[in-house]
Amino acid sequence: MEQISATIPPRSPQKTTVPSTTPQGVGSVQKRLGNELMTLMMNASPGISAFPKHDGNLFEWAGTIEGPAGTIYDGLTFKISINFPSNYPYVPPAIKFDTPCFHPNVDITGGAICLDILQDKWSAVYSVQTILLSLQSLLGEPNNASPLNSEAANAWNNPDIFKAHLMRHYRPVNNA
Amino acid sequence: MATEALRSQVGKKWQDSFARLNHGEPGISGLMTFSQASAWVLLTDFVRPRDLNDPAPPNEYNMELVKYAFDLVSQCRRLPAMLEAYLDDVRQYFYLIKRDVDQYMEQYETSLDPEIISRLVYRLFKWFNAWLPISDLGQTIRAAYTLDFQTQLFAILPPSFVSGFKAYCASTLPPFDPDVTQRTLSGEIWDIFEILGLLDRYESVIASVGYEHIETYVLSTCTGKWEAAMLPELRNWMSHKIVPWMLMMYARGAATNDDAVAMLASVGSRFDFHMTKTLCDLRTREIFDIIIDFPESAPALEDLKECLQRVDQRAALVKSLRKANHKRLLHPGADTKLILSQYVATIKCMRIIDPPGVLLFKVADPIRRYLRDRPDTIRSIVANLVGDEDTGDSLVDDNEPPQPLHQIEIEDYSDPNWEPEPIDAGPNFRANKHTDVLGTLVSIYDSNDLFIKELQILLAQRLLAITDGNTEKVERERRNIEILKIRFGESALQVCEVMLKDMTDSKRIDGHVQSQMASIVHPTIISKHFWPMLGSDEIIMPGQFQTFQEQYAKEFSTFKPDKRLRWLPHLGAVHLELLLEDRTLEVDVPPLEAAFIELFSEKNVWSIDELMTRVGPISKGAALKALLTWVDKGVLKEEGDGSFKLLEVAETVKPVDPAPIVEEQKPTVFPAQQHQAEQMRVYWKFIEGMLTNLTALPLERIQAMLHFAPGYDQTIEQLSAFMDAARREKLVDVREGLWRLTTKA
Repeated sequence: MEQISATIPPRSPQKTTVPSTTPQGVGSVQKRLGNELMTLMMNASPGISAFPKHDGNLFEWAGTIEGPAGTIYDGLTFKISINFPSNYPYVPPAIKFDTPCFHPNVDITGGAICLDILQDKWSAVYSVQTILLSLQSLLGEPNNASPLNSEAANAWNNPDIFKAHLMRHYRPVNNA
Repeated sequence: MATEALRSQVGKKWQDSFARLNHGEPGISGLMTFSQASAWVLLTDFVRPRDLNDPAPPNEYNMELVKYAFDLVSQCRRLPAMLEAYLDDVRQYFYLIKRDVDQYMEQYETSLDPEIISRLVYRLFKWFNAWLPISDLGQTIRAAYTLDFQTQLFAILPPSFVSGFKAYCASTLPPFDPDVTQRTLSGEIWDIFEILGLLDRYESVIASVGYEHIETYVLSTCTGKWEAAMLPELRNWMSHKIVPWMLMMYARGAATNDDAVAMLASVGSRFDFHMTKTLCDLRTREIFDIIIDFPESAPALEDLKECLQRVDQRAALVKSLRKANHKRLLHPGADTKLILSQYVATIKCMRIIDPPGVLLFKVADPIRRYLRDRPDTIRSIVANLVGDEDTGDSLVDDNEPPQPLHQIEIEDYSDPNWEPEPIDAGPNFRANKHTDVLGTLVSIYDSNDLFIKELQILLAQRLLAITDGNTEKVERERRNIEILKIRFGESALQVCEVMLKDMTDSKRIDGHVQSQMASIVHPTIISKHFWPMLGSDEIIMPGQFQTFQEQYAKEFSTFKPDKRLRWLPHLGAVHLELLLEDRTLEVDVPPLEAAFIELFSEKNVWSIDELMTRVGPISKGAALKALLTWVDKGVLKEEGDGSFKLLEVAETVKPVDPAPIVEEQKPTVFPAQQHQAEQMRVYWKFIEGMLTNLTALPLERIQAMLHFAPGYDQTIEQLSAFMDAARREKLVDVREGLWRLTTKA
C-alpha cells in the first residue's frame, strides 16, 4: 500500500472543476483552503464545523451549524454546502442551507442566504471560520430589513408562530 | 598385411598385366632385367618404415631404379594396393614410436619440464619425416600417410600429454615477471605442431592457455588498483606481449601485415573480449570497496564503464553490489551516517558508470528502503545539511550549486530532446537527472515536511547552544538557512526565519534592558509557537537567581508591555564564582547545579529530597547527577544517608582518580518522533470535523480524507487501531462499516 501510494504522483482533482485557472493559482488557493481547514479543525468554535466533502477536492465543503443557545434555533442543527470559486478568496464562496431553514434571510426552498459579507461586503480577510460564525449569529439576529423570506420576517416577532413554522420545515440532520 | 598369399596373387596379376602391357613387343630391355615381382618388392622395401633407433645406416637405393619401379607399379594400377600395404606397414611399426613417446612422457611426468615435451615433439617430427614417402610418390600418398600417422599418433598419446602440451604452450607465453627472460620463440616448433596436426586437435587447449594467461595477468596487475585506469595499460600489454604470441600461433602463414591482421581479427577480438570480461568481473567483485574509495577510485569506474559497454554484465554488477550492500551496509551494525555517505558515493559512482541512472535506480532501491526504516536517517541528513563542523566532510558537495527540489516531473513528450527510458529500466524507474545529491537524499521520504521539522529541531538545538550572543555563529546558521531556502522554498523555512530573528531580537532586547538596568541575566527570548517543543521540567531557581529573573522580567514587560516572559531555566548556563573559606572556584554549570549550590549557601547539609522540593519537579536522577557534579569538583561531599555536605575547607584526601569528564549536555529538544502524540491529537480533530459534517464514513474514506491534515503519514492499519481506541473511549461507533460520532446525549 505504502509502496504504491509512494509512486503515484499526487492527484490534481481540481483540474476538472476549474480548468480555466493556471495550476499556480489553483495551488495557492488550495494552500489557503488547506490552512483554513487546519485552523478550523484546531481552533473550532463550539457549534460550527466544516469539512471537505470529498478527498482530494478542497473546493466543496459541507458545514454544520448548531443553533445558538438562547435563540429560537437552540438545539437544532443545520447542514450547509460551501463551494469555493477558483479565485477564492477574492470572491466569496457560494453558501446555501441544505437543511430547510425557516429564517427571514434564508430561502426556504433553495437554501440561498442573504448576508452582506457573502455578497458586496466580502473581503479576502474573511475565512470559513468567520463565515460560519456570521451565519451562526445570523440565526439569532436576522436582518429583517431585507428579508428573503417575508413570511418568516413577519412571524419573527411572534416566537410561537415562528417556532411552529420552523419545526414544520425543519428536518433533523441524521434523517437527511 | 603383405602375406605370401597376397604377394603371389599380386605377382600373378602383375604377370597378367605385364603380358597385357607388353603386347608381345620384344625390345624393352629394362623390363627384361627388372622382373615384375622384384619391382613390387623393391618398392615396398623402399617405403617400409624403419626404426630410427636402429644404428645400421639406411639402405642405399638406386633412385633411378626406384623411380622406374614406381612407374611400373603405377602403370599396372597397383598403386592403391601398394599404398595400403605401405600404410599397413606404418601401423605395424608404430610401436616403435609409442616406445619413444612412453619414454618421453615418463620423463615429463617425473620432472614436469615443458622442455621435454618440445623434445618429444621434435622426436616425433623426426619419425614423421623418416617415414614420409618421397615427394615423387605424389601428394595423395603423402596426405594419406599424414592422416594415418596423425591418427596413430593421437591414439598412442597418453592423457598426460594434454597437460604437458598446455604447459609447453604456457611456457612460450611472455612471462609477467620482467626479470625472467622469455623463452626464445622459434616459429619452427609451431610448424611442427601444425604438421603433426597438434594445433588443430588442441586448438581449444591453446586458446585456454591464452585465456588463463590473460586472466592471471589481469588479476595480478589490476586487483585493488583503482587509482589508475588499467584498461589502456592492459590493451598495451596485449598488443606488445600477447599479439606476437598469437601471430605465431594463428597467423604463421600470413605473408603480409594485412593478412596477419585479417587472420587475427576473430581470435584477437575473442582474446580482447576475454580480457575485458575478466577485468569487468574483477571490478564487479570489488565494486563495494571501489565505492568506498571514491573519488580516488574514479579511474577504476571509468574502466568498468568501458568494460560494461563491451561485455553485457550490468545485471551481474547490480546483483553483486546489491549483495555486498546487503551484507556489508544495510545491517544494524552500520552507522546511519556511514550508510548515507556510502549511498552518496554510490550515487556518484553509478553516475560515472551509467549516466542515465538505471543501474543506480536498481542498486539504490534497497538502500533507500532501508534508510526509510531507520529512525535517525532524517536527523543525519539534516545534520549534514546544516553542516555540523564536527562531522568532517559533508555529504553534499559544496561546489554543487543548490537547486530547488523538484517534484515528480511528468514527462514532457513535446520536448524535442526527449529520449525514451533506457532499455533495461524497470517499471518504476524515474530518471532523476535534474536532482542533485541532496535532492535524491530528501526524496527518500515522500514529503519534505519531515525534513523541515527536523531541521527546526536541529536549528533550535544549535541556536540554544550558542552562548554569549555569539553573532558569528548565528550568522552562519542564517547562511545555512538561506541556502536551504533555495532548496525547500521560502515559505517552508519561514519558521526557521522566525527562530533566527528571535536570536537577533533577543540580543537587541537584552541590550535595551541592560541599558535600563544592568543585569547579569542574558536571556534568549524565543517565540514559543515557532520553536519546537522544548523540555519543560520547570526548575524554580532559588535565591538570587530568582531575584535576577524577576527583575529582568519586570524590565522586559515595561519594554514590551504586550509580551510576557516565561523562563526555561533548564536550557541556560550559569557562570559562578564560589567563595569558600579556603578557596575560590570559578565554574560554568547548568542551572540546576547552580540552583543546588545556591541552596547550600543557606545551610551546609541538605538531603537530596529537601533539595528537590526546593527546586521543583525534577527527576531524582537529574538531581543526583547535578549533585555529583559538585562532588566531582570537590565542593560537596556525599554523606551516607542520601544527604550532601558543603566542604567549606577542601578535604585533604583528594580523590586520586581524575574527575570524570562530564558529558556536555545539549539543550533538551524533543526529536520529531515525540511529536507523534501531538500529531494524533490533530488527526483526531480532523476525524471529528469530517464526521460532524459528513455524518458517517467508511474507514477508507477517513483515511483518504485525513490527507487534508498536513503531514499525515499513518497507514490504514494504524488508523484502524486508532479508531478502535476511540470507540473504546465511546467517542465514535461503527455500524455496517460506517463510522460516526456518538451523538451527545
